[in-house]
Amino acid sequence: MSTAPEIKAQASPHSGGAWNTLKELPSNVWSSIFRNPLPSTDLERASTSFTNFFLHLHPVKVHRNTLRPIYTLGLGLISLFLFLILAVTGVLLMFYYVPSTTQAYDRMLDLRGTVAFGIFLRNMHRWSAHGMVAMVFLHMCRVFLTGAYKKPREFNWVIGVLLLLVTLFLSFTGYLLPWDQLAFWAITVGTSIAAYAPLIGKQMQFVLLGDTTVGQEALLRFYVLHVAVLPSVLVLLAAIHFWRIRKDGGLSRPEPRETVPAAPPKPLVYKKVVYGLQGFVRGPFTKVGNVPDDSVYSWPNLLMAELFVLVLTISVILVVSLLFNAPLEQPVNVMHPPNPAKAPWYFLGLQEMVSYSAFWGGIGIPGLMVGLLLAVPYLDRNPKGVGRWFAKERLLANTLFLTLVTLNIIFIIIGTFFRGPNWTFVSPF
Amino acid sequence: MRLALAIASFVVLIVHGVVFYDQFFYRWERHQTAYFEQARSLSKNPRERAELEGRVPHIEQVIVSSFGDTHVDRCVTCHLASDDPRFAGFAEPLKTHPYSAALGDVQRNGHWERRHKFSDFGCTVCHGGQGRGLDNFHSHGEDEFWPDPLLGYVTQPNWRKDFEPHLKGKEYMEAACAQCHTDPDFAGTPHVTRGRKLFYAMNCYGCHKIDGMSEGTLGPDLTEAGKKFKIDYLWESIVEPRANLDTSFMPNFHLGDEDVKALVIFLKSRRGVNFAETSLDRYKAHIANVAVVIPPGTAGDKAGEQLLADRACTACHKLRDRDGGIAPDLSYEGLVRDDAWLMDHFKNPRSRIPDSIMPTFRFPEDDFQRLSAFLETLKTPPAPANPAATYKELCERCHGEKGDGHGKVAWYIDPSPRDFTKEGFMASKPRERFVASIKEGVPGTSMPPWGRALKDDQVDGVLSYVLKTFAKIDAPSPKNHNVPDRNPVETSAASIARGERTFLDRCTGCHGRKADGKGPNSLDIFPHPRNLRNSWFVNKVEDRRLFDSILYGVQGTAMPSWIDYGLSKEDAGDIINFVRSLNPQRSALHAGN
Repeated sequence: MSTAPEIKAQASPHSGGAWNTLKELPSNVWSSIFRNPLPSTDLERASTSFTNFFLHLHPVKVHRNTLRPIYTLGLGLISLFLFLILAVTGVLLMFYYVPSTTQAYDRMLDLRGTVAFGIFLRNMHRWSAHGMVAMVFLHMCRVFLTGAYKKPREFNWVIGVLLLLVTLFLSFTGYLLPWDQLAFWAITVGTSIAAYAPLIGKQMQFVLLGDTTVGQEALLRFYVLHVAVLPSVLVLLAAIHFWRIRKDGGLSRPEPRETVPAAPPKPLVYKKVVYGLQGFVRGPFTKVGNVPDDSVYSWPNLLMAELFVLVLTISVILVVSLLFNAPLEQPVNVMHPPNPAKAPWYFLGLQEMVSYSAFWGGIGIPGLMVGLLLAVPYLDRNPKGVGRWFAKERLLANTLFLTLVTLNIIFIIIGTFFRGPNWTFVSPF
Repeated sequence: MRLALAIASFVVLIVHGVVFYDQFFYRWERHQTAYFEQARSLSKNPRERAELEGRVPHIEQVIVSSFGDTHVDRCVTCHLASDDPRFAGFAEPLKTHPYSAALGDVQRNGHWERRHKFSDFGCTVCHGGQGRGLDNFHSHGEDEFWPDPLLGYVTQPNWRKDFEPHLKGKEYMEAACAQCHTDPDFAGTPHVTRGRKLFYAMNCYGCHKIDGMSEGTLGPDLTEAGKKFKIDYLWESIVEPRANLDTSFMPNFHLGDEDVKALVIFLKSRRGVNFAETSLDRYKAHIANVAVVIPPGTAGDKAGEQLLADRACTACHKLRDRDGGIAPDLSYEGLVRDDAWLMDHFKNPRSRIPDSIMPTFRFPEDDFQRLSAFLETLKTPPAPANPAATYKELCERCHGEKGDGHGKVAWYIDPSPRDFTKEGFMASKPRERFVASIKEGVPGTSMPPWGRALKDDQVDGVLSYVLKTFAKIDAPSPKNHNVPDRNPVETSAASIARGERTFLDRCTGCHGRKADGKGPNSLDIFPHPRNLRNSWFVNKVEDRRLFDSILYGVQGTAMPSWIDYGLSKEDAGDIINFVRSLNPQRSALHAGN
């Protein structure tokens, strides 16, 4: 199916010698890179998606439901684009950063004061990081509330939860790097929460910090985790995440509404056993004609939508970075903790709970929640209610989930705005 | 969709434009261009003019490695003319840094030569500020997070507005001068000199430690005060000691603005290791025992009274119309304390009142004697007309207007003054005990023997007043418990060991493992648990009272009736032997009381 467009390029006459070679150089180069001209027929559209390295992640055709903005809200895509922004700005920042307790803060001052675009890069990196944590979390909520984790997408949900954890940890490790008071004490608080884990808590904290307190070793470890280890893990997991979306049959969608049920798969009766690649494909051999075709070509429909989300994400991050500078507080002063010392906002819910009970708030409840999240698709085996927001069939699951999410958000809000010196309750108004 | 895409792309484009504009039209570039133009018009030398013609703005910096950690000062990027004498009349930033003979600059052949060359010193070594920045706000340290704003020039937005006028002035830079010029009498740093003198004269050394200068332990260590604190904080801590910490017991010395400024500058110059010393010097200063020597006051008739004023005693104590609001009234000191007590107490306040917070001052012996002699002249007894007036005059400062033990100075006094409104306590103790406490005082505490100032009927009147007004009872009605007058358990090593075991089991939660009354629960208990190592007190108390308190509890306090928790008389006797063993009889000291 990918043969037709190439013929055009080859069809040009082989005459005219050097002049023609020169004249055709641009189009020859172009056609050697892009196998298709801009598509104008459905066949070409399909071929474009199929033959392009970057586009072949997409199916040739996608279901209309996939393109409904109100269904996905583009949250997963926004998360991906934020990660790309983070990777690009992060690499640029690496050119200026030294993970050393004596130099890191000075490098921050240089980025803010002297390096061209330095503060802007840092702003973009900072706000994208916060944004990514929020977007990944909201993406998870979307997937849960539309019941999209159900068979056959159970394992992709598990990978998604792991991706959320990696994202949190990435943001957390990056938080230390400016080496200012905010960073130092947030990480001190954060790693102290980890130390409440039973049996291995102290050891875990020690391995993380390379020391009993936050210092040079911790800075180096967090740096390596932040720029090498965790991004690699995230890229790997994300690749599996995307691959499985394809293999699990695209994004989840409601069952077709037709009163006439789709024709049951024809019993496959063969005279002799045939082994072919198609044998691995789920469902009937050829879908054409068997399934009501409610799909559209990825090119240009899906690509346009993606491009729009990309441009929107970039413009929001740019505007935010222009308006708000990433915070840089005093250089680290080990003797003077700010009062109160607060963890990064996404861990403030934990810190708030820790203020009631160290073990339950810091380890017990969060551990239980993560465990529950990982197990959700295996606990909830009701196949109904997939692909619709707040499906009636999922009233109980959605209510439970929303309750926990709301509780966590309330704790974060209390921790962020309502806690003053000595963690006493203060009114922000 | 396409329209939305176009709009979003347009936003991206606009933002890029703004970002690029920000990056390529810096204020420092404008300053440099202005400098090149002005210098060209001022220059009489065609070669220099040609050179200036070709110059384009770029970031200038000085790397300073001789003073502390190597650091980078980019101040000269804007202050490009600081070393160009032709720009003396220009406005900042294109202004020549003034030349000054006082700074050691010398004039040779009509040209000034700097003593402190910018290429060696940079700018921030003397001025403070943030050398790496290229914009006013950050490089001048106007950002509230920067620890060293330009000394004496910049105040940060979160500083107190009422202090701001005091915090400007180039004299603040003396704190930086003193990093190298450490001679106490260096002529260039008069404020540091004055501040250092005040540090001793105002008795700061009594509470605060500065390595090599003092070893007070009651207040924070100020060895690195200049590194840790900004001048706004230092100013506030001196004029309003409670502003940062409600529980601070630092007195307000009511100093004049010039004195406060001198102290702030002096403290700002305390940065741990300074440039003039090696880290070994610093270590030696750190471990040295400092014998602070305070120059003696002048002799003469009024020497003692003068000393009392000069040495800021009334920053805490009360005498006549001056009242620091922290320590007891000295108005009747000559009546209630004798010379021996005063001299003991001067030399080490904790030798007489074990939990006193009064610092040990290092005045010369003569000065103590003069002070003591003066206090001994304060023998005029109070002449109030009625018990209520007597209470107001003598008791209220500690026991409070409402008799609840929360008088003005009560917070600073340990053990706390008695709360008379606790009816349970007031009703359960015999009247004789109250009379004795008033007349003879309570040894080891701040309660003085008022019997030396009041007549018996006055004492009786005050007691009746207290019982009636605060405790709201006519007379105490103590229960007569069956307790022995003398401890029937023989004092022996075995008994003391048994007592200690019981004590560790039952008593440490409140009285503490050291029996000093500072157990983990003690903070939340009022009155605080008794310090059982206060020998003056413990030795005065009879066995009978100890038995009564242990076995039947102290009503109106947290001390429970231990007989209900299974302690026998023998157990109590062991505990008493143990407590007594912690407090050797100091008969010699006793005799002096």
